[in-house]
Amino acid sequence: MKKAITVALAGNPNVGKTTLFNTLTGSRQHVGNWPGVTVEKKEGIREYSGRTIEVTDLPGTYSLTAYSADEVVARNFIIEDRPDVVVQVVDASNLERNLYLTMQLAELGRPVIIALNMVDVAEGRGDTIDEKRLAELLAMPVIRTVGTSGEGLLDLLDAVVAIAAKGEKHTHTIGYGDDAEALISDLVGILDDDPDLAPRYPLRWLAVRLIEGDADIRRVVSGSSVGDAVSARLADIDFDEYEATLADKRYEAIGAILPQACTICVRKMTGSDMIDRVVTNKYLGIPIFLALMWGAFQLTFAVAEPFMAGIEYIFGWLGEGVAASVGPEWLASLLGDGVIGGVGGVLVFVPNIFILFLILSILEGSGYLARGAFIMDRLMYAIGLPGKSFIPMLMGFGCNVPAIMSTRTIEDERDRLITILVNPFISCGARLPVYILFAGVFFGRDAGNVIFGMYILGILVAILSAKLFRSTVLPGESSPFIMEMPPYRIPTLKNALLNMWEKGSTYLKKAGGIILIGSLIVWFLASYPAGVGYGSEESFAGMIGKFVEPLVAPLGLDWKIAVALIFGFVAKEIVVSSLGVLYGAEEGSAALSDALLADPALSAAGALAVMVFVLLYMPCVATLAVIKKETGSWRWAGFSVLYGLVVAWSLAFVTFHVAGFFLGGA
Amino acid sequence: MASCPLSLIAPGTNATVTMVNAGEGLRRRLYELGLVPEANVTVVTADRGSIIVSVAGCRYALSRGMAMKILVAPEMVAV
Repeated sequence: MKKAITVALAGNPNVGKTTLFNTLTGSRQHVGNWPGVTVEKKEGIREYSGRTIEVTDLPGTYSLTAYSADEVVARNFIIEDRPDVVVQVVDASNLERNLYLTMQLAELGRPVIIALNMVDVAEGRGDTIDEKRLAELLAMPVIRTVGTSGEGLLDLLDAVVAIAAKGEKHTHTIGYGDDAEALISDLVGILDDDPDLAPRYPLRWLAVRLIEGDADIRRVVSGSSVGDAVSARLADIDFDEYEATLADKRYEAIGAILPQACTICVRKMTGSDMIDRVVTNKYLGIPIFLALMWGAFQLTFAVAEPFMAGIEYIFGWLGEGVAASVGPEWLASLLGDGVIGGVGGVLVFVPNIFILFLILSILEGSGYLARGAFIMDRLMYAIGLPGKSFIPMLMGFGCNVPAIMSTRTIEDERDRLITILVNPFISCGARLPVYILFAGVFFGRDAGNVIFGMYILGILVAILSAKLFRSTVLPGESSPFIMEMPPYRIPTLKNALLNMWEKGSTYLKKAGGIILIGSLIVWFLASYPAGVGYGSEESFAGMIGKFVEPLVAPLGLDWKIAVALIFGFVAKEIVVSSLGVLYGAEEGSAALSDALLADPALSAAGALAVMVFVLLYMPCVATLAVIKKETGSWRWAGFSVLYGLVVAWSLAFVTFHVAGFFLGGA
Repeated sequence: MASCPLSLIAPGTNATVTMVNAGEGLRRRLYELGLVPEANVTVVTADRGSIIVSVAGCRYALSRGMAMKILVAPEMVAV
């Protein structure tokens, strides 16, 4: 007679394991205790097709992480007693949770068969499970069973006999990411040197347990001949972090398998909080987020328009008054072209800035923004950043300076550095006037969509850059996270207005300070040396602009834009104020928008190129200073400038030519 | 009922924290958030890579890996 086949029955609690055990073994059971612990041990025997099958019912466990006596018993039995086959009883109506244990069983080196139980419950609920596909993906047999009726039992026994006859080890394992895998293969190499460990344990599993900080396994290895070498390799490892990362990877593997093998497999929705369910929903979350953002920009543009017209009218009137009544011609030019043209050109956008800040304040106060970060977690994870990195990105829509400071909450140094470096691509409030000006002039009713497109482009460039940095200069895995979700509340108008004022007033201060100074400098450069036509090519501004013009000419831009871009480095609004100053010369008191439209050197394609360039070209002075401060070196600040210029130039070039093809003008 | 990791319980389930299996630093952080033994937690959503839990009136998003470290005893529900 052939040797008996040993089978270990594993599974989560309450999956019908005991029922299946009883149906399998009938009355031929023996109940005892596992040695040393008060955990019940049940064994039974079944004769099938001429073979004796000895079944051991392992304690029901959710995982094999050795947190409880049950888990230790279960995994020690599989490791030490080496059953010929491990049968995992799986609750088909709760596949995701059950497969976590499967992922761990697969690492123990024994062949695993899945007994897919409770399929009736799952299918009664509307799930459709393709067990053949599941078997393929898991690389292990999957047999449908109904414990109570004994359905599928003979198929299961056939599979057990067949697998036992093959006597293969199970070799399918999941990948834990480059970082962990490097460590695992180092450890496997070290462990392999001990002649006693390799026959007793699957080495990969030992290595995985070691980096997950398993104290039991650490003791086993410490007593071996390679104990010191292993300790040395594990000396400065954050076990907690690895444990969490590895768990995340297992869920990721399950997440990749499930949708391919099961059509619905969703859990029942009970409980009260519908809002979180809806706005963080797997399918609705991102569309809702995008729709809200799109609505915000449309609203910004529509609501602000009458206010803008009013402010424009006031500055036009002021300009005419100055031209008519101020004595010396140079003073009239300084006030009219420099101050009113420059600062006025920026102040026109105050309504937009305030409305955008108001909407962001409302979203923040309502608690929605944190959900936005949560929704983006999967996306962030895919690009190699923790979900937390999304908050600085959202804050970047206001201003990159506080956004970069807020990265201090990110623990991992490399995660933080990447989040800092991509932040300048998130379109801040200062860039909005440039878009409004150019989109408003050249795209009319589509201006809102064009501006929304700029924000999306900024996000895309940030994401792709993060991915690029992650795979080149700053490799690593993103770390697991905890993030607070503030409660939903209806924001009070008072709070929203206060918040808006707090952020918006810095814009006003900038207009009175750095932008005024910048405008005066541009005015000076445009007016001198003495005797040249104001803002002409012979002025200092013209000379500078002409000098760099060859660089921007391929983008469809002329020297005036070049000068504005150079000054925009101080603060991006200055692009607008500089243009206000420079164009003020030719067009008298006409509004800047009319002047731009009349300029034959500018086309709609060129306008798009300007927007793309301003979006991406380099962090402003204040952002650069904070990058230097937060990264502790000029190296990264310099890198950020160079990288930004290259990306901006390339994309503006592509934009100009592609848009030119469709819109004409290239 | 036996304890299981927080990451494995179904959305809408109420549970009591029994143990936080984390190193010193992380445990302190979780404790600060109110994820202490005896605390009541509710899983709000779990259909993404990470889960949202409600504890002591606050909501937190936790990655699945973090949630593995928190052992809870789920409230008995009819099967």
